[in-house]
Amino acid sequence: MKNINIIFIIKRLFYSIFVLWGLSVVIFVLMRIAPGDPARMALGSRTPEEVVQRFRIAMYYDKPIYIQYYYWFKGMLHGDLGVSLVTKHPVLEDISQVFPATFELAIFAFIFIIVIGITIGIISARYNNTWVDNLGRLVAYFGIVTPSFVFAIMGMLIFCYALKILPSMGRLSPELIYPPKITGLITIDALIQGNFIVFFDAFKHLILPVVSIGLLGMAEEARITRTSIYNNMRKDYVVAAESYGIPERVIMFRDVLKPSLNPVVSILGLEFAAILAQSFLVELIFNWPGFARYGMVAIIQKDLNAIYGVVLITGIFVIFGNIIADIIVGFLDPRIYLIKERSEKIR
Amino acid sequence: MLNGKAKILSIVLCILGILISISSTGIAASPSIVRYSSDWPVLIDPSVGSDVQSMTAIVNLFDPLVFVDTKGNIIPHVAKSWDISSDGLTYTFYLRPGIKFHDGSELTAEDVKFSMDRNLKIGEGIAYLWLGKIQETKVIDKYKVVFHMKTVFGPFLSTLPSFFIVNKKLIMANIKKPGMYDDMGDYAKVYASAHDVGSGPYMIKNFSAEYILMEKNPNYFLDIASAPDEFEMIASTEPTLVKTLMARRELEMTNRWMGSETLESLAKIEGIKVTQWRASNMEYITMNTKKPPLDDIHVRKALAWAFDYDAAVKLSPGSVQARGPVSLTVPGSDPNCFQYHRDLNRAKMELKQSKYYGHFDEYPIECQWNTNISMEKEAMLLMANAAEIGLTVNVKETTWALLCSDSAKVETTPDLHVLSDSSFYPEAASLIQGRYHSMTAGTWEQGEWLLDPILDKMIDDILATSDNNERYAKYREVTKYIIDLCPTIFILESPERIAYQAAYMEWPAAKGEVIPAYQYENMMRFIKVYPEKREELLKK
Repeated sequence: MKNINIIFIIKRLFYSIFVLWGLSVVIFVLMRIAPGDPARMALGSRTPEEVVQRFRIAMYYDKPIYIQYYYWFKGMLHGDLGVSLVTKHPVLEDISQVFPATFELAIFAFIFIIVIGITIGIISARYNNTWVDNLGRLVAYFGIVTPSFVFAIMGMLIFCYALKILPSMGRLSPELIYPPKITGLITIDALIQGNFIVFFDAFKHLILPVVSIGLLGMAEEARITRTSIYNNMRKDYVVAAESYGIPERVIMFRDVLKPSLNPVVSILGLEFAAILAQSFLVELIFNWPGFARYGMVAIIQKDLNAIYGVVLITGIFVIFGNIIADIIVGFLDPRIYLIKERSEKIR
Repeated sequence: MLNGKAKILSIVLCILGILISISSTGIAASPSIVRYSSDWPVLIDPSVGSDVQSMTAIVNLFDPLVFVDTKGNIIPHVAKSWDISSDGLTYTFYLRPGIKFHDGSELTAEDVKFSMDRNLKIGEGIAYLWLGKIQETKVIDKYKVVFHMKTVFGPFLSTLPSFFIVNKKLIMANIKKPGMYDDMGDYAKVYASAHDVGSGPYMIKNFSAEYILMEKNPNYFLDIASAPDEFEMIASTEPTLVKTLMARRELEMTNRWMGSETLESLAKIEGIKVTQWRASNMEYITMNTKKPPLDDIHVRKALAWAFDYDAAVKLSPGSVQARGPVSLTVPGSDPNCFQYHRDLNRAKMELKQSKYYGHFDEYPIECQWNTNISMEKEAMLLMANAAEIGLTVNVKETTWALLCSDSAKVETTPDLHVLSDSSFYPEAASLIQGRYHSMTAGTWEQGEWLLDPILDKMIDDILATSDNNERYAKYREVTKYIIDLCPTIFILESPERIAYQAAYMEWPAAKGEVIPAYQYENMMRFIKVYPEKREELLKK
């Protein structure tokens, strides 16, 4: 951990503030340009014009765009993201309700991507150019070419409709009671409470959505892992270790795997944004009450306050996801910081 | 052979698999519940919600002042009786004592007055029905309330099945200030959007982004013993999910937006039936009467004569060709009004009389559609029919947001647009005023831009007529006037088509007993479910 550059992290966090600010400005302007009167869309076509105008005034839609932005920014700094034009609830309240559901999907999708993707990659590289490698490649290609929503629908038809072995919707079976909310993640909250029935039921509900969302990421990680390990297996130090008679398994996990994971982890940082993008349709298909579905409805209905809230939260998590990925890469490969330190000393 | 670690891992995975598979496998005992596939979000505040899903929840959570029977007659409900003054300006309602809100407090005249005042102040949802019409609402005593009208509003009583009463005490206790409504702050809009402030046959048990679950009100003032114990609105209209849930008997009713193919595949499942009824849904092609060449009545009539109505009806199973601007299921419609039929010769004759004849290529016509595939098919049909008489019509898909913004100006309103609309209350005025009065020009609902002062006067006169017979006669006159103007191609009356679990559910709407008020067919207190029959189906 001594190699982790604290200054680097602080710098990244500092720059993130500007990135988020820029993001908010861009989205603010884009949504104002997009067609549709948000006030009229929120209140319906039959609502009298004077009522709609009063609403516009209350929401500052009659003001110049920079004034609107000022009021929104001021509210955001006080933790007030406004009221959703669609649900009529405070946006922060809506997000606090829906975000844990998507976060839970994302966590498990991540685990699926890492565990299955890297495992397939390792096995493919180890048994390269054999039928095992070909099978691994087939699985990876399937994951790459199959859109998440197609897999979701296929999975539902096979496992829920025909075989009836998996639940088709929601986070928990209706006869079970949600555990007391600690994290908002049903599986974690159930484990904390020691309620294994709820844990396993919630896990079962996660299977199809997680696999649907994680399939592409899993395939990408499998391909990258395979290539990376295959290349590193041919490095001189590995050949040297083999010649010393060190067991293959030890070489693989001690000398090859760690440096091979650099590109894998770097990609993982971007996976969070990809997971959110995949989540939109998957949440719709499985009636998963998540953040992505909430965001999609907000965009379609031009729910401005909800859109800004969704974009802001998404931006925060993508940025943090990338920072964490950078930290992990530095931990896995100390050379990154050593090279940086050396180049700074030379200067 | 597996080594030690691999053996342990295999055993752990097997145990995990067993635990997952034996964990809750779905419904254990069959509950007395109706589960309904719904769009989202659901706005449960009756002063705000007006769409299909919101009204489905509202008709179960709240009580209207008056009710309506299957023939469209207004009958007592919260109000046990009423008087209408001879000048039509005063409505006195006598309330039934002992009706309780879900928090246990009694529903009184104060709540009725408060609910109407709140509707008018907020002005959203269906408040447009009463805005500018009610002078004042007065409480006379605990069970007597009076509405003083500004002007005579003939259909007023017909609109009141859509007037739902909220709990004044709860609303006032949860007002947030400052807000848009002066001393009333936000009028508890945020509170009422997520909490139960009603007195209806069902109460909220659970409300999330996933579903809204309601349970039967044990203290309801009417006998609802045979009604389902619970009603759940599931936040999904995704066809694959709906089909899966119906097949697993985890859903009792689909939504009204299911495509024909999905409904047909559902109908093949044992115990599931597709029912349909006409409930004032109309499909039209609006014609922008202010843009050339459609500003010429001959061109509009030519398109009306050229359109293939029989083909359109075949595209929409269960529908019938429309007759005039109002569905024949709505009181005030005219079953004898003139009806166009396909006649290419007459269409060509009309075109020849047009001032644009010989120059149609200078005025391209675009037909826009949105919402669903059947509307695209109707647009394509029009395109083909127009080509047969020498008119070029291009078809373009639009979005709801674009349509709303384009409709605000004459120049940007589509030349032609495939529109679906329905009556909000059981009288023809709902559609006639909504579709053709100048007050709706500039909205998605009126792509015609008629702006006809004579028509406006006729419509205002109808609304100001308190005598039913006189009013209905005027409906026939205004229907003829509109048809003569030919601002619209009246395509068809489309049915509501819903699949439901007929093997263990009795639904009056499925037997043709449809109450002609918005979403009243989804009132759970009239439905019966038989959990034991569901159990038998599941065992098969």
